Amino acid sequence: MRKSYVSNNIKLNEFDALIRITVEMSKYLYPYIREIMKSKEDLEENSVIWNDFNKRFIELIKERFNMNSIRVKKLLNQAENDEIIIKSLLILSFCISNQGYQKLKNFLYDF
Amino acid sequence: MQNKLSFHQSSVSLEIIGLPDYSNDENKDQISIISQWKLTIIDKPLIEGKVEHLGPIMNAFYIYSNLLIKNEIPLFESKLIDIKADNLHIHNIVLKSSKPNVKPLILKIGNSLLSDTINCFDQLNESPKVRIKKPDVPNNFPKKLRYGLIKKDNFLNFFIPPFIAICSLILFSSSFIIFYSPLENIEKKELINPE
Repeated sequence: MRKSYVSNNIKLNEFDALIRITVEMSKYLYPYIREIMKSKEDLEENSVIWNDFNKRFIELIKERFNMNSIRVKKLLNQAENDEIIIKSLLILSFCISNQGYQKLKNFLYDF
Repeated sequence: MQNKLSFHQSSVSLEIIGLPDYSNDENKDQISIISQWKLTIIDKPLIEGKVEHLGPIMNAFYIYSNLLIKNEIPLFESKLIDIKADNLHIHNIVLKSSKPNVKPLILKIGNSLLSDTINCFDQLNESPKVRIKKPDVPNNFPKKLRYGLIKKDNFLNFFIPPFIAICSLILFSSSFIIFYSPLENIEKKELINPE
């Protein structure tokens, strides 16, 4: 999915390390993640936060992902990407405990 | 004198009240015998109950959150609690009282409050000061089983295509036996030309 001409398979220890980094980052970013999710619950009040987040999300996808991929196109489609974004944010917000590493790993295997 | 322990996460707090089990030589500040618990969600009615209600309610939240993420129908129903999704962002919780003639308590919470509640339960599970029967979170499969499933998939993907190819080759080639029999043809020729 990434913009790269080399397709390297990720090694198990690299995958583990990425999960650990993601969990630590989501602990740190939990208040922001929470606010983004909350802004979508009541669109009339806080739609600015959700719109800003969505805009930046799409910008980053366009910048770093392969735009020819169908899965990437799905991520950019505003009608379809709400569910993907909300589920990703929920997964991150559920994994901020001390056992978050194991939880995130389980979620990713089942996703 | 009972011990009180509180777990907080943004707009949700969980309070556990109980006593240590002195027969097990536990510390004074430990809680092993839970007498009461309270779940406070800001702007929502207080949820409280006995120890036998805490486990099923925690289980319900964990199972529901798993269903929500795994793209399955987000619906959990039990004698004590029902949780279902109104939409992608709002969840409808119905808490049924064990006492007769008490109307069920209906709450609507968003994703932010749902994740706060799950995190409060996680803190309780991880707290060394509270001994509680751990809820059976369904995504905690044994590692071997999960890897086994993945390997099984790969194994099938590897062997099924050549297996199907060989079978179809046998079936296809066996159909030629019906059309042509060289022995019968020789016998017929001999009958026509008896020389």
